[in-house]
Amino acid sequence: MSSTSQHLLLSPAELAYLHGSLSLITPGPIRPDGRSPTQFRPLTAETGILPGTNGSARICFADGTEAVVGVKAEVEKTPLSPYEFVASTEGRKDHTQKKSGSRKSKKATGDEEDISMDVDEEAAGANDKIRGSPDWVELSVEIPGLRDDDSGTVFLTSMLTEALLADGEFVKKLWINRRFHWKLYLDIILISPPLSYPLPLLSLTTHLALLATRLPRLKSEADEDPMFDDDWAAATFLYPRQDTSAKASNKSSKPSSAAAAPASRPPITLLVMAVGDNIIFDPSKEELAVADSAVAVSVAEGPASESESEPEPESIPATTTKRNLQLLSVRTIDPPSRLTPPGVPNSVNAAAWGTMTAATPTTTTAATASATEGGAAKHPDARVTETEDVVGVWKAPRGGAKFGMLGAMVAKVLEREAASPRSQGAG
Amino acid sequence: MPLDTSTYNLALLRVDGRRWNELRQQKGQLGVQPSADGSAYLEMGNTKIQCIISGPNERDLSKSTSSASTAPTSNGAGATVAVSIMIAPFATVDRKRRGRNDKRLQEMQTTIASGLAATVQGQSYGPRSTIHISLNVLSQDGSLLACLINAASLALVDAGVPMTDYLVACTAGSTSSYAAADEEADPLLDLNTQEEQELPFLTLATLGATDKVVAMVCESRVQLTRLEGMMATAADGCKGVRDFLDGVVRDKGELMVQEGAIGRGEVVSSMDLD
Amino acid sequence: MADRRRINGPVGATTPPIFDKPAGPVATKTSDAIRKIFLKTGITPSASGSAYLELENPNPQRPGNTSLKLSCTVHGPRSLPRSAPFSPHIILTTHVKYAPFATRQRRGYLRDSSERDLGVHLETALRGAIIADRWPKSGVDIIVTVVEGDQDRDSPESQKDDEGWDMMNVLSGCITVASAAIADAGIDCVDTVAGGVAALVCEDDKTAPTIVMDPIVAEHGSILAACCVAYLPTRDEITNMWFKGRLPGADMMVYDKLMEKSLVACRCANRVIVQELNETVKKGQGIS
Repeated sequence: MSSTSQHLLLSPAELAYLHGSLSLITPGPIRPDGRSPTQFRPLTAETGILPGTNGSARICFADGTEAVVGVKAEVEKTPLSPYEFVASTEGRKDHTQKKSGSRKSKKATGDEEDISMDVDEEAAGANDKIRGSPDWVELSVEIPGLRDDDSGTVFLTSMLTEALLADGEFVKKLWINRRFHWKLYLDIILISPPLSYPLPLLSLTTHLALLATRLPRLKSEADEDPMFDDDWAAATFLYPRQDTSAKASNKSSKPSSAAAAPASRPPITLLVMAVGDNIIFDPSKEELAVADSAVAVSVAEGPASESESEPEPESIPATTTKRNLQLLSVRTIDPPSRLTPPGVPNSVNAAAWGTMTAATPTTTTAATASATEGGAAKHPDARVTETEDVVGVWKAPRGGAKFGMLGAMVAKVLEREAASPRSQGAG
Repeated sequence: MPLDTSTYNLALLRVDGRRWNELRQQKGQLGVQPSADGSAYLEMGNTKIQCIISGPNERDLSKSTSSASTAPTSNGAGATVAVSIMIAPFATVDRKRRGRNDKRLQEMQTTIASGLAATVQGQSYGPRSTIHISLNVLSQDGSLLACLINAASLALVDAGVPMTDYLVACTAGSTSSYAAADEEADPLLDLNTQEEQELPFLTLATLGATDKVVAMVCESRVQLTRLEGMMATAADGCKGVRDFLDGVVRDKGELMVQEGAIGRGEVVSSMDLD
Repeated sequence: MADRRRINGPVGATTPPIFDKPAGPVATKTSDAIRKIFLKTGITPSASGSAYLELENPNPQRPGNTSLKLSCTVHGPRSLPRSAPFSPHIILTTHVKYAPFATRQRRGYLRDSSERDLGVHLETALRGAIIADRWPKSGVDIIVTVVEGDQDRDSPESQKDDEGWDMMNVLSGCITVASAAIADAGIDCVDTVAGGVAALVCEDDKTAPTIVMDPIVAEHGSILAACCVAYLPTRDEITNMWFKGRLPGADMMVYDKLMEKSLVACRCANRVIVQELNETVKKGQGIS
């Protein structure tokens, strides 16, 4: 059972009320916590909390859910594929000689960043040289009270992994040379019990941790065994910052300062839900319980496209600058609303028949009599309530979402992402 | 990396520059997790622990299948203490992922659960209630068990669970290994990972500032003559830790008074008690 | 998790190294058609409902070529165990399991994360279709076995890194076959849900990317993005959607086109389900 479906103590009447206020059209949806439909929950965040990791972050939502992410990198040998024609004889000789030495250099974790710089310089010619493999990234999610192989955890893990791997560019950042690569471990830990669907929290925390992730600078050249700079201050960011001066100051590991905004950003997964015709961002647990449909959308921001030669000026409001957004993945989430208990409309409620049929004498005996003989009368009504909605009576949603609604949800996410520089990462 | 213990005899300073009876830098915080019933964050050197308490609540059947270790208080007449430890894979220098059924973790869980069960006044709750203590190790650098006990103790205070006193723990080691057969070796207080790997050590948990031992774990080989010195040192360390934890709690209390979360009168009366 | 109860064979592929440059991909089907589907219900008599699905193999004479073969059994609805808490709805449990020999890489007997992931997708797709409140306090198990996983052994794909695009095809097949099996079990649904895939493929650097329905992963140069949809045709609703890949400039036009194409694929698959169910009904009438 997925982790979306936790016990929620809301009665059918409460669910119907919540659904009603969230699907209002004229003043817009009224959310229980007073947010606007596109507003996120307030949060506090900090990065670089664990000096023992290559990058770390902690986010605490106002409702008390908290997650910690630690990123660790290790140097690993790239297995040579028999199909790799480029593996020249010279390279192979080299390979056998240094086999023993490679293990030792593992501790001195290394570089990565230079490569992404090189990509720009060497351009398309050398581009095919830099490869990446999905195996180079390992992501684990730990949620208290759930087993590691619980399908909900697995779903979260694969969704977050998918967003990282979708464009195939991320793993290329882990390339060192033809024989070595970084293996990146992302460990996501939910500290608090999962009060709401933890996806947005985990994704945001991972985003911040990756922004803060640094790898030691590579000193060796070409296909040598990698050697790294001992100086952590010289370590380069996995996502390079635009301002080179920010790179020098090792203390300012916070991505908050606008001056050190990275050119490209790690993916982020947002949770969006639809109630009636309204699209609501970042739903809380209660809101998700009445969702007609819910979608997780992953977007990333690539470096500004080649056509715009000048770097994106951060001082100008981000709405005016064109940002290179990429849609990476979309998944529908099974909304927990499908598991909520339905309400009983008056027409089929035996207890309410006395008041319904006002024409009959309202003595208790008559009421029970009508209840017993009402078998035939009950049927048509029951049929109606089985298939049709009764206003004010909660019924778990059936079927799926309309094509247009899903498209609108994805479009809205892209629109909103384009409009907002994700600066809320700063605690 | 082999620890060069020979330098100790010359300068009487340890690898990280401490004296023999010096505790590491400590940092504590109460109520770090607003959604939990009680929470605490504790740093001892580079060992960083976050503890979350949920409960006391009714015993959850689904939870009983998880890998938490439990211990009943007041001879089964009170609440049950359930402890689960999660060591983050990135907590150590080399990334290492531990399964939930790791035997060492289970053993630590049991030690903490039984230690706390003896300290918590569980009879105030019914025998069907459980206090869940979940400990997250974010960074690990020696004295793990001691830090876990201290963090749990701090979080229990935040949760308002009645206890006879703080349950505090500390490690103590000896300056030379067993093989050196040095009967006179000096004891050392509060070991880090490097020292733990080289030297014999024990973890001692005492009840507050008293010398009442609640738990003692010694998994290394050491001459009997050295044991007493180590225990005395650890007990002294426990006193230091107790003072520190008490300071954290009092600071938090003062802050709450300033913020108006509690009235001044109630605080003063309870502070007068000790 | 390591499987300690059995002695398992080696995990790695046993492809011999080939020093010849492999032949380029051969397109065997047009971009706006789906492979032929064979679907049959009621193949497992002991289950309350079952179905078997097979996709046409475009190159049957080449020994390394495979297609998709799925078998699905439905057990239930049956009452929940006494210890289970009350549920006002039917409790759906989905298992997707690859046979150890279904893919190039041998699969173990325990479900790995990709199989569990597929199971969650399938559950989402089916839960929208089933009328869950007609079966309170009951549960149903849906088990899909992937007999052949749509991975060619000697395709050039085997030299590339496995990006898991074939999982989309497997999922769409799982949805279709499970839908037929549920209907066979007589569980009330709002409609027969069907799965379909469309992908944005790029044959080489020179040509512009095109949208292909039901992509055969081995036959295309590279797949930029793909989308798998579970669709209820009569209600015109989508119960599950899974999109991944990269769309240049987050182009909503391309995204919408991709979705539309996969809906067409869904409708095609749905026709097969409806036809097969009709045939089953007719046969049943003939006997009685």
